[in-house]
Amino acid sequence: MLVRKIKDKLFIVGIATLTFLTILPLFHIVFSVAVEGLPVLLKGGWNFITGTLAPPDDGLGGIGPAIVGTFVLTFLASLLGLPIAILTGIYAAEYPNSLLGKATKTLLMIMMEFPTILVGLFVMQILVVPMGSYSALAGALALAIVMMPYVAVYTEEALRGIPKKYREGAFALGLTRFNVVFRVLIGLARKGILTGVLIGIAKVAGETAPLLFTAGGATRTYFEGINRPVGAIPLLIYDLVQQPYKNYHEIAWGASLLLLIIFLAIFLPIRLSLKEVKL
Amino acid sequence: MVRMDKFKTFLAPFCGLVFGLFILMLIVYLTASLPIFEREGLAIYTTNVWKASENPQKEFYGVLAAIYGSIYTSVLAVLIALPLSISFAVFVIDYAPKRLKEPLMVATDIMAGLPTIIYGIWGAFVLVPILKEYVMMPLYEHFSFIPLFSFRPVTGYSYLSAGVLLGIMVTPFASAIIREAYRSIPYIYREGVYALGATRYEATKILLGYIKPAIVAGILLAFGRAIGETVAVSLVIGNVFNINPSLFAPGYTISSLIANQFGNAYIYKYMVPALFAAGLSLFIIGLIVNLAGLMYLRRFKYAR
Repeated sequence: MLVRKIKDKLFIVGIATLTFLTILPLFHIVFSVAVEGLPVLLKGGWNFITGTLAPPDDGLGGIGPAIVGTFVLTFLASLLGLPIAILTGIYAAEYPNSLLGKATKTLLMIMMEFPTILVGLFVMQILVVPMGSYSALAGALALAIVMMPYVAVYTEEALRGIPKKYREGAFALGLTRFNVVFRVLIGLARKGILTGVLIGIAKVAGETAPLLFTAGGATRTYFEGINRPVGAIPLLIYDLVQQPYKNYHEIAWGASLLLLIIFLAIFLPIRLSLKEVKL
Repeated sequence: MVRMDKFKTFLAPFCGLVFGLFILMLIVYLTASLPIFEREGLAIYTTNVWKASENPQKEFYGVLAAIYGSIYTSVLAVLIALPLSISFAVFVIDYAPKRLKEPLMVATDIMAGLPTIIYGIWGAFVLVPILKEYVMMPLYEHFSFIPLFSFRPVTGYSYLSAGVLLGIMVTPFASAIIREAYRSIPYIYREGVYALGATRYEATKILLGYIKPAIVAGILLAFGRAIGETVAVSLVIGNVFNINPSLFAPGYTISSLIANQFGNAYIYKYMVPALFAAGLSLFIIGLIVNLAGLMYLRRFKYAR
């Protein structure tokens, strides 16, 4: 009996410790990024947000082009990806037992887990090579492909979560299926769909791998058109970390803090208003 | 009379578009890697060579080191994630103080969504020095006769660093799946187990048996995430063509190989096909692992 009691106590202490170990890195990461990044933001001031990249070993400059690029890419990706994703989600919700509906659901789940670097490589081959240049459009297409499954799956689940009586009521009024979905159900599911959209946006705003061979990166010029290369905050961090210059590492930490703030600003309100999220 | 469902025909093309994209992706990978298969056959996957040359006659590529590194680091990640994610799920559902439950779950959800580049910069500048100083050096100095610890950790960029970083990254993801499954166990089972006089340890062991498919699914999907992760890994793996059993040796993964080499690959005739072939292997491994994971998850959901 005593052995069992001791085992029991050890077990509780053990899993509590492991739980602590699980979330410890988060605090270490947030702490490190804040400690390293905050002085950079304070020293760089407003110019850090709006300026262009400093030369090696010469001050901080700014990451304006990357910030603009992240917004442009996220916006274009939403423009390309959201309509298709939402309509696909509606199909999967409306026809869950049809062959295409079932297959779509599975495909979306697979795409959620799909290595994002492969998306980048794919877009490079079909868009960057024929166009002869990296471009904002290519970056946005890659991000749109990454974003779609999240938005579609959230849309599908939001629609399926609506009690049957609303659907029956709408049909009883003599509405066509189109009107049932777009006039009644979409309105009821708007919170779930919006969550999916925001999760998708939070996801792609922080993505690096799909942009490596598509957006091209730009550190000294702001947005010049959708057929020209464009920067992005994650891409900039990835490039700067690999440089040997100390000021570039500082800029990378500053950019990381900014990215962390952007991510938390989108993600935390969603997460706190919901019980669970899918990532 | 079959009534045409206009709404269905209006929506179907959009589904078709998503499918089309995915199939096009597979076709692009197959056709773009074809030249290397014609030239080398399967040697691209079974050898460890990387000879880039202006003269296409002399070019030869084999990405075995990258495949090895991908599997090695992902297995390490899963070994780390397994105990952590199960403990976290059990603790947070059954034993954590009520006020702590929600904050703990929010914390792991933030971790699951955090931009991977932030893990990358933290890994390269913070985690690697810590691991080198406090884990690798002591183990190397005292236990270097064990093959796992036999490589002198010069820079700290290694399979171990990548594995630990990946483990940290995929644990919240695995635990979210296990957590939902563990939560869904009907209450009567809990009551039944305790009624038999089981201690909390014994009860948990029995209850975990009930959600075994979900645990397998969580681990498989975590493996799929780990093997596809790119930027964080490429900043800590060292990026060296190397097949070494030691945890402390630097190496390559498929995704970091692509990230590192693809930028200048177009100068050479066969490097692009070689990298697409590497990508194809990642494509297929990822597809199989994730499909298996989803299958286990579905089996668990329908078994209820």
